[in-house]
Amino acid sequence: MNKKQISKVLNSGAFYLLVVVIFIYLAFPFYWAINSSLKSEAQLQMTPATLVPEHPVDNNFSPTLQNYQAVFRNRKFARGLLDSAIVAISTTTLALLIGSFAAFALGKLRFRGKSASLYLILAMTMFPQVAVLTGLYAVIRTLGVSAIPGMILSYMLFTLPFTVWVMTAFFKCLPTSLLQSAQVDGATPFQSFYLILLPLTAPALVTTGLLAFIAAWNEYLFALTFTSIEPTARTVPVVIALFTGEIAHQEPFGEIMAAAVIVTIPLIVLVFIFQKKIVAGLTAGAVKG
Amino acid sequence: MIRREAEIVKYEARLAYMLLIPSFVILVVIAFYPLASVFVNSFTNKVFASAREADYIGFKNYGKLLSLTVKELPPVIDEGSGQPAVDRDSGKIIYERPVKILPREPRRYKEVLQFDFFGKRLVLGATDRAFVYAAFDTITFTVVSVIVEVILGLGIALVLNSRFKGRGLMRAVMLIPWAIPTAVSSRMWAWMFASTRVGFINVFLQMLGLGNGQVAFITSEAYQLWVMVAIDVWKTTPFMALLLLAGLQLIPQEMYEAGRVDGASKLRQFRSLTIPMLRPTIAIALVFRTLDALRVFDVFQIVLAQKRYSLASFIYYQLIDNQAMGYSSAASVIVFILIFLFALLYIKAIGGANSNE
Repeated sequence: MNKKQISKVLNSGAFYLLVVVIFIYLAFPFYWAINSSLKSEAQLQMTPATLVPEHPVDNNFSPTLQNYQAVFRNRKFARGLLDSAIVAISTTTLALLIGSFAAFALGKLRFRGKSASLYLILAMTMFPQVAVLTGLYAVIRTLGVSAIPGMILSYMLFTLPFTVWVMTAFFKCLPTSLLQSAQVDGATPFQSFYLILLPLTAPALVTTGLLAFIAAWNEYLFALTFTSIEPTARTVPVVIALFTGEIAHQEPFGEIMAAAVIVTIPLIVLVFIFQKKIVAGLTAGAVKG
Repeated sequence: MIRREAEIVKYEARLAYMLLIPSFVILVVIAFYPLASVFVNSFTNKVFASAREADYIGFKNYGKLLSLTVKELPPVIDEGSGQPAVDRDSGKIIYERPVKILPREPRRYKEVLQFDFFGKRLVLGATDRAFVYAAFDTITFTVVSVIVEVILGLGIALVLNSRFKGRGLMRAVMLIPWAIPTAVSSRMWAWMFASTRVGFINVFLQMLGLGNGQVAFITSEAYQLWVMVAIDVWKTTPFMALLLLAGLQLIPQEMYEAGRVDGASKLRQFRSLTIPMLRPTIAIALVFRTLDALRVFDVFQIVLAQKRYSLASFIYYQLIDNQAMGYSSAASVIVFILIFLFALLYIKAIGGANSNE
């Protein structure tokens, strides 16, 4: 090997080392949660903490599933999963439905006040949710809706503007000639919307839908506030934040970590399946914007 | 035929308004009306979830939140010598206690911090110490975490921009911290930051020969804010990296080839090609992240609860624990204005930068 080859090998070695370091940094906290979730209360209290669940006396590898069993027995957690699913699915559906109406108008129809409407909606994406917390809670109580529809409605605050924005860009890219030929064939604009454009927008609907779903699934501030007097409506993030254990008396870290792992796994599956679409959606507003 | 065209235009406009109505009705109900009511309530002493009529109290809420004063602390005079008293152990001058100096009327001021200025000892007092701390902490948190995230994010984006085996896997792994609910990642990290060697960070630091394995990250004031930054950086750097990566991939490869032909070094290519081409993306990522960080809530509320506030968790606790709706609304208006000003500043800066090019 000559000098050049050696430096090339060293370079690519250093490069892969860097990749590995980044990988460990990103994945390690999640590994630590899995590790802790497989430990018993006694193993969690061992010092120094061990990289795998070890038996306190003979240091053999001895994981336990008792935390997972406890979490699945926990009614509040099961209820939280159900509440989260209802809220996230309804939020996504509503945002896509209403958002694609507005996006079609903004992307394909001619009318006065179009750019003003578009900028108003764009400005909404930067709206600080915490600033309207007190007012929004009052609105929900005045309307007399319970916490779950209250959350679905208020999550429109961050899902709707984003959906409208991304979908509008998408509609704009569709050729107007499609619409015109439909008009020539005697279709009304609304017919051409749901017969021709809507099927074409399916990919964009998947992308924005995924992002809306994840945002709604993860939301914490509104959920915590609106369910403060209605504990049965608590979504998973709130349940995990307020977690008290079934078996342990002090803060049950093993169970919390087990719950954290359970909640994260569906998200990881989503991320691995829809990786490309999610990245496209995340960067759509920012890069081309 | 012309008539038909005009009819279509009319029909289109009518349809457009109908399609926009649902979105705007919802936004009015959940954004504009609540914002207006927060603004109105901020001038009252309204109590949350109570039937009591609220009174209009003018700017009193704002006065209590924002009153700051700076006073000089005179040295304590030793009665025997008539000279300033000196601490026997440290040899430093003893100053009067701030409680005696700070005004009590019409509102009582409490000490925020003491500092020396041209040989004088000054004390900063505020009527609501918690709010001033929350504002200071939130802004520090924002500035530090955004800077770290941009630098780390750019590094990761540059690594991922080269072709290598396992790049697809790395990209998926990068989405994991972003996809995990902040409530979950906060609890995961709080456990890693446990104050004894049951926590990973303490074990790790001790392995590196740092600390005694008993660092109380979450309860000790010196570390709290850095723990918040660490958790936020882990969660949002990948997002930043993905945005910057998308920006990097918009730079045409021919430009790099031209650079190589001209003999520009890698560093030179980075400085004169990558950074300028990436500037719009960095600017937009900065805006998104700053506005997001200024309203940070989850991680502060979950890890620190009432030990230390961010602006958002201050508003939350004023509303839910103290039921002080009027007061909480006034704090909300201040946060809204703060974020609005940051947004304007950025838009101006970006607009200015773009028009110069």
